[in-house]
Amino acid sequence: MKHIGKQTIQLDTPPTILQTASIVGPKEGQGPLAKYFDQCLEDEFWGEKTWEKAESKIIKETVNTVISKSGIASSDIDYCFAGDLLNQCISSSFGLRELNIPFFGIFGACSTFVESLCLGSIFLDGKAAKNVLCATSSHFCSAEKQFRFPLELGNQRPPTSQWTVTGSGAAILSATRKWSIYNSSYSWKDCRYGN
Amino acid sequence: MKPIETKQEYSDYVDKKSPNSPILKNCFNAFWVGGLICTIGQLIMDFCKYKGMDETGASTVVSITLIAISAILTGLNIFNKIGKFAGAGSLIPITGFANSIVSPAIEYKSEGYVMGVGGKMFTVAGPVLVFGISASVIIGIIAVLFAH
Repeated sequence: MKHIGKQTIQLDTPPTILQTASIVGPKEGQGPLAKYFDQCLEDEFWGEKTWEKAESKIIKETVNTVISKSGIASSDIDYCFAGDLLNQCISSSFGLRELNIPFFGIFGACSTFVESLCLGSIFLDGKAAKNVLCATSSHFCSAEKQFRFPLELGNQRPPTSQWTVTGSGAAILSATRKWSIYNSSYSWKDCRYGN
Repeated sequence: MKPIETKQEYSDYVDKKSPNSPILKNCFNAFWVGGLICTIGQLIMDFCKYKGMDETGASTVVSITLIAISAILTGLNIFNKIGKFAGAGSLIPITGFANSIVSPAIEYKSEGYVMGVGGKMFTVAGPVLVFGISASVIIGIIAVLFAH
């Protein structure tokens, strides 16, 4: 691993994305990418009492999904890099604490996931880990509450205003294993049609 | 297409591509909904006067009634739909002020009653109160100094 140029790190052995998983909310489930998600929720609360608990459950279930899809035991994952948009990264720290994997909480707003992939790759290439878990989450309602206005406030949005994703994505990076999509029985399920 | 080089060119490009808010439609909706709210207020006022209340009492009843209606509609998740439709029409009358206090109270209830509801209730209305009250104090001092 060496530092080339100003902002580039060259890895000696590029890591592999072993497996990925994602769970999204109802609005994302209506979009053109719906067939690529593992699960599309119909309820933004997902049975929880607060937006923050719902977001925490989304990242927890996404990480459980990616671990079960990858076929490796959670004890074989050495570190976890994850973050979200909330104060003190509460949704990822509470969602992932039951896994008992050493956890690095990161914050990069929109770039959190790529940041986690960068840091995870450097850990793998530096031989500090064999497998790392990278994850992120956000929830429209908790982000509105944190950064903008309460949902019940009667304000207007311009047609070009942004909409924070409700959902979570996770990937397992591996230094040694290869991408498992070819030898797993997993197939994409199209959640647009409720199957 | 020629490459975008300056910030101005980029901003022009974005303006060209992004859809505009439907200003005329928004103004029309704001006008009639705002007018309707004020008419309801006037009806309540006339009714109170008809029942024998004086001017001050009647206008207090109007404020209280409109605030109560707006707070209940906010709790029922209806006011934000009216607000999205009517914009300033429902925001500028006292209904909007009630909504701006009730909506954080609902949203932050999950953080507890004291530090959540109590502490965060004025996150939206707080600046209005601070600068509104400060301005009225300053105007009051000026009035005392020069009007007598």
